[in-house]
Amino acid sequence: MSAEHTASAPAGPPWRLALGRSLGRGRKFLWFLLINILPLYVASDLLVSSGALAKISGFLEPVMSLWGLPPEAAAVLMAGMLVNLYAATAVAAPLALSWQQISVLGLILGIAHSLIMEAVVVRQLTPRYHALTLLRIVLGLGAGWLLALVLC
Amino acid sequence: MLGQLISMLPGAALKGLVLCAELALVVLPLIVGYEMAKAYGVFERPWKRLRPALAVIGLGPGGLVPLLAGVFLGLLYGAGILVSVSREEGLADSERLALAVFLVTCHAVVEDTALFVILGGSAFWILAPRLVMALGLTAWLARRGRSRL
Repeated sequence: MSAEHTASAPAGPPWRLALGRSLGRGRKFLWFLLINILPLYVASDLLVSSGALAKISGFLEPVMSLWGLPPEAAAVLMAGMLVNLYAATAVAAPLALSWQQISVLGLILGIAHSLIMEAVVVRQLTPRYHALTLLRIVLGLGAGWLLALVLC
Repeated sequence: MLGQLISMLPGAALKGLVLCAELALVVLPLIVGYEMAKAYGVFERPWKRLRPALAVIGLGPGGLVPLLAGVFLGLLYGAGILVSVSREEGLADSERLALAVFLVTCHAVVEDTALFVILGGSAFWILAPRLVMALGLTAWLARRGRSRL
């Protein structure tokens, strides 16, 4: 870590380096939004306003009502757990959810998101990454259920 | 049906662009802030006063940097600091587990919370339960570990 700092020191003051790196990351982030999140939002919006998502997910009603959520929100959970929170945001935005429902989703997915990608990082810390991924799903859904009881 | 979908496309695209703009307005300043904090070594300071609190959740002084990196930067973006520092500091297996348990429950707290606040969620109800659970779980693990010794 310190070797990396001294090696990059002659290039300029820290803030300048940080600004340069932010520009690079910021540009990548904007592309990510336009290439991944925008199309996902459009698809989600069309599926919602055409009523197709409600039709497909209708059978999940009894399960999703445990969290005070409409059945369509199952798609938000899937997007968040398997892809990432930005994908979840894009799918959730067209659904016209209440602040309570958004908070429940935010809590569940805050704990349990990007499960596959992040398991790769957790694996570097502990060999028990499988158990921890399961823990995230259980904790997330459990906490969300309690929050739904409190708020709704 | 198809014609109807196509007629909805421009409106959907416009609303999608608004969402992207909102996300960018929140996340771009965070990126600059994170990079500045990283460049000035904020995540690498020893913050001595936090040591007793670290002990409660089963971490030694060497666990602070990876913990801060994970809590603020997140598992993916903070992975560089997280993994390399926990190797350099030679964290014990129990400390690595404590770190992993804390962070899977509670990481990237600013960014993750902001995304759902943009949609109208409550920052308190999204963040507070995660913090409480992360602290509770690691404190419980640490107490169990000590009683075994």
